[in-house]
This record gives sequence, structure tokens and C-alpha cells, in this order.
Amino acid sequence: MIDKKNIIRLGLILLVLAVLTILNNTMGKYEIRILNLAGIYIILGLSLNVINGFTGLFSLGHAGFMAIGAYTSSLLTMSVIQKESNFFVEPIVPWLANVQIGFLPALLFGGILAAVLGAMIAAPILKLTDDYLAIATLGFSEIIRVIFTNTQSLTNGALGIKGLTRYTTVHYTWGIAILTILFMFSLRKSSYGKALMAIREDQTAAEAMGINLFKHKLLAFTIGSFFAGIGGGLLAHLMGTIDPLMFRFLLTFNVLLIVVLGGIGSISGTVISAIVVTIMLEWLRFLDGVIDLGFMTIQGIPGLRMVLFSLLLMVVIIFKQNGLMGRDEITIDSLGGFFARFRKKEA
Amino acid sequence: MKRITFLLVLILILSLALTACSAPAAEEPAGEEPVAEEPAAEEPTGETEEVVFGVFEPLTGAYAAGGAMELEGIELAQELYPEVLGMPIRVVVVDNKSDKVESANAATKLVDQEKVNVVLGSWGSSFSMAAGPIVEEAGIPAIGTSCTSPLVTLGNDYYFRVTFIDSFQGVVMANYAYDVLGAEEVVIIQDISNDYAVGLAKFFKDEFIRLTGNEDSIVSIASYNTGDQDFTAQLTNIKAMNPDAIFAPGGYSETAMLVKQAKELGLEAPFLGGDAWEAAEFIEIGGEAVEGVVFSTFFDAAAPLTPESEIFINAYREKYGEDPASVTALAYDAYILAIDAIERAGSTDPEAIRDALAETVGFDGAAGVVTLDENGDAVKNAVIKTVENGEFTYLTTISPK
Repeated sequence: MIDKKNIIRLGLILLVLAVLTILNNTMGKYEIRILNLAGIYIILGLSLNVINGFTGLFSLGHAGFMAIGAYTSSLLTMSVIQKESNFFVEPIVPWLANVQIGFLPALLFGGILAAVLGAMIAAPILKLTDDYLAIATLGFSEIIRVIFTNTQSLTNGALGIKGLTRYTTVHYTWGIAILTILFMFSLRKSSYGKALMAIREDQTAAEAMGINLFKHKLLAFTIGSFFAGIGGGLLAHLMGTIDPLMFRFLLTFNVLLIVVLGGIGSISGTVISAIVVTIMLEWLRFLDGVIDLGFMTIQGIPGLRMVLFSLLLMVVIIFKQNGLMGRDEITIDSLGGFFARFRKKEA
Repeated sequence: MKRITFLLVLILILSLALTACSAPAAEEPAGEEPVAEEPAAEEPTGETEEVVFGVFEPLTGAYAAGGAMELEGIELAQELYPEVLGMPIRVVVVDNKSDKVESANAATKLVDQEKVNVVLGSWGSSFSMAAGPIVEEAGIPAIGTSCTSPLVTLGNDYYFRVTFIDSFQGVVMANYAYDVLGAEEVVIIQDISNDYAVGLAKFFKDEFIRLTGNEDSIVSIASYNTGDQDFTAQLTNIKAMNPDAIFAPGGYSETAMLVKQAKELGLEAPFLGGDAWEAAEFIEIGGEAVEGVVFSTFFDAAAPLTPESEIFINAYREKYGEDPASVTALAYDAYILAIDAIERAGSTDPEAIRDALAETVGFDGAAGVVTLDENGDAVKNAVIKTVENGEFTYLTTISPK
């Protein structure tokens, strides 16, 4: 039985990869760009979901961890010449000037550094709960940004970095997104994941059952910031340029919106809403332009797509308070059951 | 309950697939042109019936005001010059939401979906930098309006701009401090989280040290962050150093407060700044305290730089009933420079336009004569202004050496 499921899973993954390859070869650059962004937002959404969804810790520090990943991987993939031309205000610190490594190891480094710093930040503030934790993480994320703004010889400060080789492709973003999804599902199933969810449901009861609260919360933070760092690195190499202002609170908010919309704690919900939100925001762009309805033309109002998007959000929040999926998941079992019910009806 | 959820999800996925397919179709009516001769494959051959200028600007978000001012300039230019080579010009405007990621999306949409011949924009160097690699890869020339960071055009053969860059502005102000004010020792107080301020401070420092030949002529560099309200700590330090002048590049609201607090502390040294000060809010916030500050900018409505300036200023006054801002003139210039390049190239092929742009010499724009150097940066005059009786007043024009 388990083998059969695994085969179906493998088949599904291969199917997704095949579809992506076809899309990659047939779509224009604009669509591919959005596809890439969707993949990155899946990774970011899932990473925030570990902290906010699985463990129930309300963290708002995601942009900071992304910044660490983005800057680390960018500084590692840049060539010596790129570094020289970027750092014209203050020369780059000597120990970084001649370092250049491949894209994947750089991404990994970015993720690991983000995880280490995430753990370091989380350790002292994990005593806080709820709103206080949210405020503290938000503060730390801003602190990271301000540090990056002021360390000119390390990050080029407010000027940002430009001219990064744009390594990020659909294969990277979606490959890593699929790995992240698989990791999240197995984490959910594992004893660690169950412990995290126990903490979410009732901290005291979880502790009474012998779960080490500190250790598990720290684990959630570390995993979350690791994937945030990877997502940040991918975003940097998709854009080709980064600056500290990119990693403002608004970026955390974007990711949080995806998680809340999809259902806090649901992996499939986060994936679906990451794709929907990314595509919707671009697709609704036509609202900003001149709209010809045949019998009348509406002069475009910049920002109209934001209004409509907010309306859609409100509808979702009013009618589905727990997000699209709540805490449910789409699994092979549930899909099978769903189709079985339909078949029964037809028969 | 579970089933309803599944149904919802299924519907979402389906609608997603549908929207993905119908996206280009849905966008065509937005472009106000009939879809009949959609030039899909043979677009960049120059045989299209119309020329498309793509504009990306921050129309919403933190910098919406800047984007709106530039859009005014482009709209005005289109009213005055609606066609080129006998073909009508269609302007496609997309919003970059004052966000770097959105800016890259917007630029990709312009070059990939709208098939524009030239890209114009954007307000803010970081948004232009996000679009840089996209226009370069697509081989579509872009003309920056008011993006002043040297990094925008650096190493990018397809990005040009009609504005001078931070390095020139820093040099101009350093010369002003040395020649006109006779300053020997200067303090810089910069907004460290503002790329423009950091760039200006750097070039001012280099030039001033070169002029005085004294490594210590910049006594100190103090920093603050965007949004700061209280500068007394930095200013008290500066007062103790007793500089001859203070160079304070940064946004208008912070610097206006900074100058005000400096005067309250009894700092007598004159303040120098950059073009960002030229906003009504600067005088509103600063009040009496900003009287006599000196800054460099692109353009002044009271002192037309070229015949085109007069056409522009008159048309603007007629349409909006007030004097145009500098960035409006720059956006106007970007538009007419694109027309000029197309006419010189005799073709709407992006590559030909790019080559023509690169050869721009002595082009008469509303905000001065533009000559593009090997990086694609404009070499042009800077205007020095001061604040007198609560109004920006023209002092002098400085030409590049």
C-alpha cells in the first residue's frame, strides 16, 4: 500500500516537472518570471508556515532572514570584477573580495547563515509569546536591515548590489519548491512535527508530555529561517539586484498574506495561495490600464488592482476565516476519497 | 465541509488555469488599439503601424508622488508630439508599486508582452536598476528619467538617461563650496539609508579633498536614517567642529528638520544640498530656517535653458496652471529624446534606436542640452538654487568641465 502511494507521489512530481518543462519552453519571459516568483513564494510561504503555522509562534521577522540569505548568496556568487564595480563608495572587505563560488553552494550558504542567525535571534526571545514575540521578531528584522544599510564595506549599504548573474531558472525555483514541499510533509509526519503542533495546540500540555519547548521552538525557527534564506537567495538571483529597502516589513507582510490566505498550518493551502496570489497580482494589472468594455471605455486608475485584490481578500476572510484550506491537506488519500465519492455518485 | 473545501480548491485551480490562458487576451482591450494587426512575430522590424513607448513608474506606494510628476511630463510630451516618422506613438504605462520586484515584473511585461520599442522610466534608481538586466536581455533601449545613481547605466549598453548623475552633482556642490563660499573645512551629514544621499556624499567628499588638497578637509561624516526626527546629537557634535559649510544630501523632510534644528542650536555654517530639496514641503517644514540654503538641481522654470524649455513651460502652465517640477521636465525630455533618436535612426527597430541614442550629442531638451557619454549618462548643466523669502530662487547655472 505504501509503495503504491509512493509511486503515485513520484508520478505526480514527475508530472509537475514535465508540465514545468513544457511551460518553460513555450511561455514568454513575462510568464516565466511570474512562474519563478510563484515558486519562490511557495518556498517563502512554507518557511513562514513552519514557524507561524506548525508551531503557532507569530513571527514577523521573515524579511530579515531573507535579507541574510540574499546578501550572503549574492556576495558569494559575484565575480571579482562585479564586486569592484559595485563597491565604489567603500571598497569591499578584503576577505570577501576574491571569493566566488557556484550558485547552489552559495544558496546553501545563504540558507545556513540565515538559519544560524535565526537561531541566535530566536534563542533569547522565545520566552515571549503572541504579540510580544511578533513585535520582537519584527524589531530584529528591521535591525538586520539597518545593519545591512550601515555596513557599507560588506553590503554596499543603501546603494545595493547590481549586476548579479541571473542564475535563477524555473528548474531551480520549482525544484527547490518541490523539495521544500516534500520536506514539509515529512516534517509534519515526523515526531518533531507532531511535537511542534502539540506546542501550537497547548504549550503546557505539550511540556507535561515531555516535549522540550525551547528546543522545538528553536528548531522551528531554524528551519523557517533556513528556507527563508534560500528563498531570499533565489529572489536575489532572479532580480539581479538587491538593496536593503527590498527587505522592509512589507515583504514579510506579502509572505504572511500568502500563509493566512492559504490556511495557517496547511502546506497545500500555502502552496495554492502562493501561486494564486502571485498570478492574481500580475493578472489584475489590466485594471490599471484603459479598459474597453465595447460600449464604454474606463480610464485606468493606477492602484485599482490593489483595490480589487483587497476586496477579494476580504471576501475570503469573511467567508473562510481559516483561509482556503484551514488546516487540511490535499493528500493522495484525500484525493482518492474525493474521486471515489464522485464515482459512487455517478454509479 | 471537507468536500466544499475541495470543490473550492478545484474551482480555484481551474480558474487559475483559465486566467493563465486568457491573460494576454484580456490585456489586449486594455491597450485601446484594435487587435486586428497584432504584430506578434515580426515586431521589431520597424514595419508596425505604431510606435510603442513603455513607461514604468511608481504610481502607487511610497513614491507615487514622484511617479505622478513624471507621468505628467510624458503625457504632456505626447500631446505635443503624438507621432514619429508618420506613425502614431502609443504610450503604455505600467505601475511598479514603488517596489523592486514589481518593477522588474513591470519592465518584463513591457518588453515581453507589450512589445515596446523604447522603455521610459523610472523615478528612483533602485527601480531602474531592477529593470536594467531585463531591457538589456531583450535588446530594448531604456531612457531613465530621474534615476541618478551611477550604477543604473554602468555596464548596461541599453540603459541611457537624460539626467546628470550623483557624481556630477557632488562635484558641482564641492566646487560651489570651495569657490563661492571659500570653505576650507566641511562636514557631511548624510542619510545613510538613502542610496542617492550616500552617492552624493561620496562624490562631494572626493572632489572637495581634491580641490583643497587636504585629506582632512572633510572634518567629519555624520549619518542618520530615513524617517529620523531628531538630529540634535549629530548637530551638537558638528557644532563643536565649527565647519565652514555643511553638506547635507538627503530627502526633503529629514533635511528640512535637520536645518531647522541646526539653526535652533545656533549653527551658523551654510547648508548645501542636492536636487531632492526642491519640493514645496522643504520650505513648509523648514520655514525661516531654510532661508539661504543652496542646492543643485536640473532645471528652473524662471530661467529657461533651451528653446524647448519655453515650449514645455508654456504648455505645462497652460495645462496645469503652475510651474513644472524638475522631474516633470526630465520625463518630458526622455520622451522627446526617444522621438529624436527614432528620427535619427530612421527606424523603430530597438537596436537602431539604441545606436542612435548612444550617439546623442547636443540634444535640446526642456531641462537643458543633453549629450550622452560612453556610459549613457547625460552630460549637462546643473542649476544652482537657493531659498529666498520662502521661495526657490535661481542663482546660477554651472556647466560640466
